Amino acid sequence: MVPLPQKEEVTLPMDEQAVMSFRDVVKVYPLPAGDVTALDGVTFRVDRGEFISIMGPSGSGKSTLLNLMGCLDTPTSGDIFISGTRIGDMTDAELTSLRRDRIGFIFQYFNLFPLLNTLENVTFPMLLKSGKTVDEKKARDVLRAVQLEEELYTHTPMELSGGQQQRVSVARALINDPDILLCDEPTGNLDSKTGAGIMDLMTELNRNGTTIIMVTHDPNIAKYSNRTIRIADGRIVE
Amino acid sequence: MSGMIFFEIAKRNIRIHMLRSSLAMLGIIIGVVAIASMGILGNSMVLAVSDSLRTVGDSVIVTPHVGGTNHGFGGGTGGSSSLSISEQDYQQIQRVSAPNVAIPVLQTSDRMKLGVGTDDIVAPIYGLNPDDVPDLLKLKEGGYSRGNSGCLVGSKFADDHKIKVGTRIAIGTDGTKGTLRVTGIIEERGMAFDVSTDSAIVVTKDWFDTAYNRSDYDKVVIKVKNLDDLPTVKTAIEKQMNRRDTTVDVMDTRKTMDTIFAAFGQITTFVTAIGGISMIVAGVSILNIMMMSVTERIKEIGIMRSIGAQKQEVMWMFLYEALILGIAGSLIGGVLSLLGGYAISSMMLQTTKYLFVPSSLINIVYGVSFGIVVCLVCGIYPAWRAANLNPIDALRHE
Repeated sequence: MVPLPQKEEVTLPMDEQAVMSFRDVVKVYPLPAGDVTALDGVTFRVDRGEFISIMGPSGSGKSTLLNLMGCLDTPTSGDIFISGTRIGDMTDAELTSLRRDRIGFIFQYFNLFPLLNTLENVTFPMLLKSGKTVDEKKARDVLRAVQLEEELYTHTPMELSGGQQQRVSVARALINDPDILLCDEPTGNLDSKTGAGIMDLMTELNRNGTTIIMVTHDPNIAKYSNRTIRIADGRIVE
Repeated sequence: MSGMIFFEIAKRNIRIHMLRSSLAMLGIIIGVVAIASMGILGNSMVLAVSDSLRTVGDSVIVTPHVGGTNHGFGGGTGGSSSLSISEQDYQQIQRVSAPNVAIPVLQTSDRMKLGVGTDDIVAPIYGLNPDDVPDLLKLKEGGYSRGNSGCLVGSKFADDHKIKVGTRIAIGTDGTKGTLRVTGIIEERGMAFDVSTDSAIVVTKDWFDTAYNRSDYDKVVIKVKNLDDLPTVKTAIEKQMNRRDTTVDVMDTRKTMDTIFAAFGQITTFVTAIGGISMIVAGVSILNIMMMSVTERIKEIGIMRSIGAQKQEVMWMFLYEALILGIAGSLIGGVLSLLGGYAISSMMLQTTKYLFVPSSLINIVYGVSFGIVVCLVCGIYPAWRAANLNPIDALRHE
């Protein structure tokens, strides 16, 4: 187990309530044909309990932003704070621990592990975090909270519908009590009715205090959020 | 504990790709069987030869020097065919070898007939002093012959010609040399450097002298009581007899046996190395399926890394997979090696008594261990590659 880093923790007075903050973040990809600036001086903050949607056209820098928010990448310049911890100088192991302990991921294609059943998929991050025994009761409670029927707990992802898989994915994202739930087009692969069901679940989770950041290109889905950040050409435009 | 879930995933991945995994395992099984069986066969052969030679491992054999001119023996006649050791020289050898027993040996071969109406056969004949015979030969039947009318026969000779104690053998063409009565049958001695009696007959020295008009000896066998004295006795004889010219060749049978065993050891190493090559081939197939496994699961690796799996945890997941294949394949190979070793020993050595001894069974341990190590080593690169995938690229992978 890699412990969360303490030495790099920097908390600024203006960001006391911020669960995530970006300050003048630049991300440049060096390519043989020349450098490509994917994000160009992005600054924003997300307070605890917010439900934010991030929108923008293809190539606007959404994916880069999502990777940085998910600690899958580090910025070329600028500062990113997750729960007061600056991620710029972190090692790969420290970033991995941060993702495991403070961020919950929900993907467009659910991305459950095909070899594990529902309960095992949900307890997987718990095992990564504790390294010891899993709290199966908690996993069952979370699965009940995302309204998944008990008889599906031993089913593999292949035996579940898209909506059921996304509910398992939400349960997996919530199991380690993350500070932020990071969603990448969570309804992008679902029909509108099932998608609405998932969004109702998100709203319910947010009402109960979960901070949610959702990347989407669908304005109808973005309506579920309290605030929308629009991005174009690597800059926040609204 | 988190390792358990990765072990479980590795196990399930093998299960859902059972055919592919089984084929990779088959390679390991063949490799282990090849290594262990060759090792068992080699060791069994060494043991079998060792058993055959053990009765002569305590001797120093003195023979006339072959090659060059002969000044000291056989009346100075020269030429290897007339070479022999004189009584005087024997006395010298006996003196420097004391307190060990120096046994002079006369040797020839002749025609003989086993009964009326039977065909003549030709067999080696040894002439030994009756007092020396118990020091050199053990009987499985009958007794030692004291008088000149008795003889001993080798066990194979007795079996081949249905000879029993009391059978009479007429020596020489038409029995011209005389008829001897078999008084005892000598225990099987196998290959021997001193006297190979299994297919021979042994007569008294006096009878031999009379029949073949010989008084000089063909060789002298010194039975050394303390094996550590073998080199000393050898050196003492050489020093005494080869002062001016090389007149005798002195052979330390234990040293010769050591040379033989070293040669067997080299042969065993060689054939085991050939088995090792098949294991390397199996290792390459493990590497191949592990690379396939990584390629197929890039997206899964990306998900694991994104939700908090550390590099080493991903690495272990693939190492577990290689280890499961290696351990399962090697253990199955180990069991089959035992069966293979049993079959090979039965066919080639006509006995399995050398199979269930530690020096043979250790080859199975070596084979199994080598199989596991090869699998683990071949799993390292794919596992390292999986662990070091960029999570962003892995997540995007379709």
